[in-house]
Amino acid sequence: MIIDVHAHWGPWFFTMDVAEVNHAVMDRYGIDLAVVSATEAVIYDAPSGNRALASVLEGTDRLYGYVTVNPRRLADAERDLREYLPTGRFVGAKIHTDYTRSPVTSPQMREALAMLAELDCPALVHTWDASVLDLAQACLDLPGLRAIAGHMGATGWRHAIEAARACDRLYLEPCWSHAPAGRFAEVAAAVDARQLLFGTDATLIDPASAFGAVAAARLTGETAERVAWRNAADLFGLKIPPGHGSPPAPPER
Amino acid sequence: MTAFDAEGLIGDLTVTLDVDVLVGAYPDRDGPPGAPAEVCETLARHRITAGAVAGLRAALFDVRSGNDEILALDRPELLPVGAVDLRDPVGAGGELERLAGSGARAVRLFPDEQGVEADFPSVRHVARRATDLGLAILTGGDVRRFWRPFAGLGARVVFLDTHFYHLGDFLVTAADEPGFHTSTRLLNSPDALETTAAHVGAERLLYGSRTPHYEPVVPLLRLATSGLTPDEVAGVAGGNARRLLGLEAQS
Repeated sequence: MIIDVHAHWGPWFFTMDVAEVNHAVMDRYGIDLAVVSATEAVIYDAPSGNRALASVLEGTDRLYGYVTVNPRRLADAERDLREYLPTGRFVGAKIHTDYTRSPVTSPQMREALAMLAELDCPALVHTWDASVLDLAQACLDLPGLRAIAGHMGATGWRHAIEAARACDRLYLEPCWSHAPAGRFAEVAAAVDARQLLFGTDATLIDPASAFGAVAAARLTGETAERVAWRNAADLFGLKIPPGHGSPPAPPER
Repeated sequence: MTAFDAEGLIGDLTVTLDVDVLVGAYPDRDGPPGAPAEVCETLARHRITAGAVAGLRAALFDVRSGNDEILALDRPELLPVGAVDLRDPVGAGGELERLAGSGARAVRLFPDEQGVEADFPSVRHVARRATDLGLAILTGGDVRRFWRPFAGLGARVVFLDTHFYHLGDFLVTAADEPGFHTSTRLLNSPDALETTAAHVGAERLLYGSRTPHYEPVVPLLRLATSGLTPDEVAGVAGGNARRLLGLEAQS
């Protein structure tokens, strides 16, 4: 059982044709469920992309949705969140700090995160290098906020370790197109297993990158299960599939 | 077994030549020391039976002693690849002649590590000299810029840093340059291998891992789960590299 907490649905502007391959790509790696954001919503028009994704989610039980939030369009975001979250098909919010030029420390981003904390809506936030520390600080400043550091800082995975250790409501997922040796193993050894998630960035990045990085870490037992799906199911309130329901013991900290 | 069973997905795929292997360490990084024994152990653990190996001592500090270390490696699984310093194009010319005379089949360029840009005269000079000497060229650098100094020479080149973001730029240059090839290390979008095969042929794809500084399992997984034919997979996994480096008669 694997749940991918960082995936996308829709086309990309690079030399690639991946708009319709979500299920096929998931099947390559045994990924059962994925939480996706619409690429249109992330890159260009959040309301239009969210609306298109809502339609797609009606036709599959393997994808859940993120409501994409543009921090510069908070009225649109609040309307979409209040419309789509109650459907149960959308389980979180996605914010890409680069495409909206809204760093975690920007006023509009702080306002967006405050709104998500108020709604008790988990937020997947793009992080790179030291910005993951800013996201941890936002979690500390906003007591209700639960945030996933997308890419766990990419080049800044050591910052991600520091960030996750500062706040237990900050979660890390590893997707990145690069796979420096030992990156995920180092993070998994230093961070509470309850804060680790699996994300791929599919269908932009093939799951090979994150799957391989996690496989190389040679996780065992409960930690592997937590990364693969249990933490995601808990965070998003997803139904635990039959056969995967035994409650885990608390991990050693 | 956990859900992350990479071995199960990779199956019996064996890489017969990895074009991107290093020995030595980066002094500005916390990565592995890159001792030859450690590198060979990592390759073997991933069913990679041979690697084209260059040395970071040559790339970062002293070309001659660094290349001598590589040429002296007595490990059949490591195919020595020389390096030159693009910051010294005059010395690079002499070192290329020495490498060719010592039987090296390829030279590796480290423009990023050496702070050299694609339009520096040094790169074009080394590209021309290496090609004239019959050496294949394994080069780092952004393919969107580094295609140019190798164009129009009949050069045999492997771009080691081609990212799938830039795949289109590689494809349009490779269409005009039959000697242009790419490592698969960063071609990890869902369809980059298949797109390359469709546009310029799978023979332009060479498995590259950058062991021990990157996870070799990532390009292995992508290749093993690709839509390429079994013959194409075998080519990418080493056949293409062996042909490019003139090793077919020995394999």
